[in-house]
Amino acid sequence: MLDLILCVDDDPITLMLCKKVIGKTLFSNEIITAQNGEKALNYFDAIKNSDIDKSDNKLPQLIFLDLNMPVMGGWEFLERFSSSEYSDFSEIKVVILSSTIDPEDLEKAKKYPMVIDFLSKPITLSMLDYLTVKMQPKVV
Amino acid sequence: MKNKPNQITIIYMLIALFTAIVFHKISLQQSSITNYPLYSFLKDVALVLFTGIVYRFILSKNENQNKAVLEKLLKTNNEIKESNEKYDIVAKATSDTIWDWKIQEDKLYWNKGIKGIFGYNEEEVGDSSKWWFDNIHPEDSIKMSIKLYSFIEQKTENWQDEYRFKCADNSYKYVLDRGFLLKDEDGKAIRMIGAIQDITKQKEEELRLKLLETVIVQTKDSIIITEADFNENRLPKIVYVNPAFSVMTGYESYEIIGKSPDILKGPNSDINGVKKIVDAIKNKEESLIEMISYKKNKEEFWLRFSMIPIYNSDNELSHWVSIQRDVSDEKKQEKEKEQLIRELTKNNKDLKEFSYITSHNLRAPISNLTGLLNLIEDITIEDPELKEILFGFNKSTHLLNDTVNDLTKVMIIKDNPSIQKEALLLKEVFENVFSQLSFQIEAYKPILKIDFENVTVLNVNKTYIESILLNLLTNSIKYRSESRTLKITVTASQLNDSITLVFKDNGIGIDLERNRDKVFGLYQRFHDYPDSKGLGLYLVKSQVEAMGGNISIDSEVNKGTTFTLIFKNK
Repeated sequence: MLDLILCVDDDPITLMLCKKVIGKTLFSNEIITAQNGEKALNYFDAIKNSDIDKSDNKLPQLIFLDLNMPVMGGWEFLERFSSSEYSDFSEIKVVILSSTIDPEDLEKAKKYPMVIDFLSKPITLSMLDYLTVKMQPKVV
Repeated sequence: MKNKPNQITIIYMLIALFTAIVFHKISLQQSSITNYPLYSFLKDVALVLFTGIVYRFILSKNENQNKAVLEKLLKTNNEIKESNEKYDIVAKATSDTIWDWKIQEDKLYWNKGIKGIFGYNEEEVGDSSKWWFDNIHPEDSIKMSIKLYSFIEQKTENWQDEYRFKCADNSYKYVLDRGFLLKDEDGKAIRMIGAIQDITKQKEEELRLKLLETVIVQTKDSIIITEADFNENRLPKIVYVNPAFSVMTGYESYEIIGKSPDILKGPNSDINGVKKIVDAIKNKEESLIEMISYKKNKEEFWLRFSMIPIYNSDNELSHWVSIQRDVSDEKKQEKEKEQLIRELTKNNKDLKEFSYITSHNLRAPISNLTGLLNLIEDITIEDPELKEILFGFNKSTHLLNDTVNDLTKVMIIKDNPSIQKEALLLKEVFENVFSQLSFQIEAYKPILKIDFENVTVLNVNKTYIESILLNLLTNSIKYRSESRTLKITVTASQLNDSITLVFKDNGIGIDLERNRDKVFGLYQRFHDYPDSKGLGLYLVKSQVEAMGGNISIDSEVNKGTTFTLIFKNK
């Protein structure tokens, strides 16, 4: 079971669904959300710049990331988040959760090592089971 | 010569008479001599001796004269013989046929050529001018005789004419006839001697060349012939242009012959085109070039021209032949086509982006709906009406989701013409597909007959082949006949690089008479089944073709359907 996951999506219903579905399982203790890439980066910036000891700060272990979002989309977020600026968070895994069907997006996702999977919406219980199995060795 | 013996006799008699008179006078003076009989005898002896000597002298002189004449005659004779031989040899060497016409008597003599060249035997050859004229081609004879008689009457030195002369086998030969007139002291023509030369080959060649020439003269393509080498630092000099060239450029041949084709160049002519021409000439290589050129009136046009090096019999480059065409219209069309393709490509790209975005925007809310409905499943609902509404809501949402997913799949297939292929074990592919359908197979228990012969590997895209087989199998199950047990036969065979998969069932079939064109079409449904969308076969065909294969159908209503799929294993 994960401690904390971050869902980045501009659609409140998707976020609501994420919370509800994950809430039904033992996938994660806590869920936080961000409406777009920039808001997500702000969250990590706050952690990086805070004087508070890191153990008190909640660091997500997994990010569910949408691609099409206003202000800052998923790709730009990935670009920034994988740069040296955020190297402190290189342990964090990303799962792209999108309704895109563009095959180019699938290819593009492979360029980011932190992206462990590319899944189609909506989030389901079986998807979470699958991810649990997939992440097992890394979580432990 | 005839009178010589008389002459000699007369001279002899005169001398003998004169001598007899002299002796007579002497004997009158000597009459006193007593011994007269002796004297008379001596006188006779003297007479005989003297006249004998004189006679001998005359004879020997005559003899010498005769000898000289004979020698002269012999010499002349030899010369004539030699000359005749020479004449025969020359006639043979030139293969000319000689004729000799005595005009007044109208006697015409032919030499051996009349047999050798025209095939006439001696007895067939006539001996008058009539025979000669009769054998001249009717179309040529009037013109020829007018020319000949005007020559005989006027006093030109020689005559020559071309006409067709009939051979013994009734074919005609083209001949060149040259004649000389012999005149008497009064300047009257008495004899004519001529030599006939067979020019059939030259004439035929001439006609052939004339025919070939019409191609150059009549063609709508412009043709230039130039010298082989550069004209100082310009292109080789033009030696010929055909009429089409004048029509195309406005330059008449007299204006341009002797000049260089550089005259066609202008400010917008491509420097690389010029370089290509120069290279072709330097390397003596054939070339095809397109460049902007200029007419005489400075009008621009696109010229497409070939350059062909021409070699003479000594294998030396002698000329360049260039065949040219004004391709301005083609160029314009090409440009328009390119523009059109650019616009279409852009439109297509825009549409594709649009469809991805639309699809994304459709899928996002649908996925939310699906997710929400999944959550409802766990909630117990008491109100029967709400339950019914939610059931309908659920069903519609899933249908909408399926449709959007199918359309999305089609779009991806159509957009990805070159897909990844891999070598798959046919057996594993089928096992995989059957396991996905295990529920339906269990429910309907079809008889499955599978025969792959010696085909083991299929070089295809895994997702596509599974989708194809899944579609065909579910179709067979969906459209099974209620009156008999479903039987599905799958066979595979290989011929060279082609793998053929035959997929056969005994279901309700499709009426191909009515629907052949529509079977693989989008949204075509042939049976009023609730969950049929008319997409399966369209998808199957798209996927088969995306992998470079093809699919055909054979079906009979209430008998069954057979699909034949052919893949190239490359």
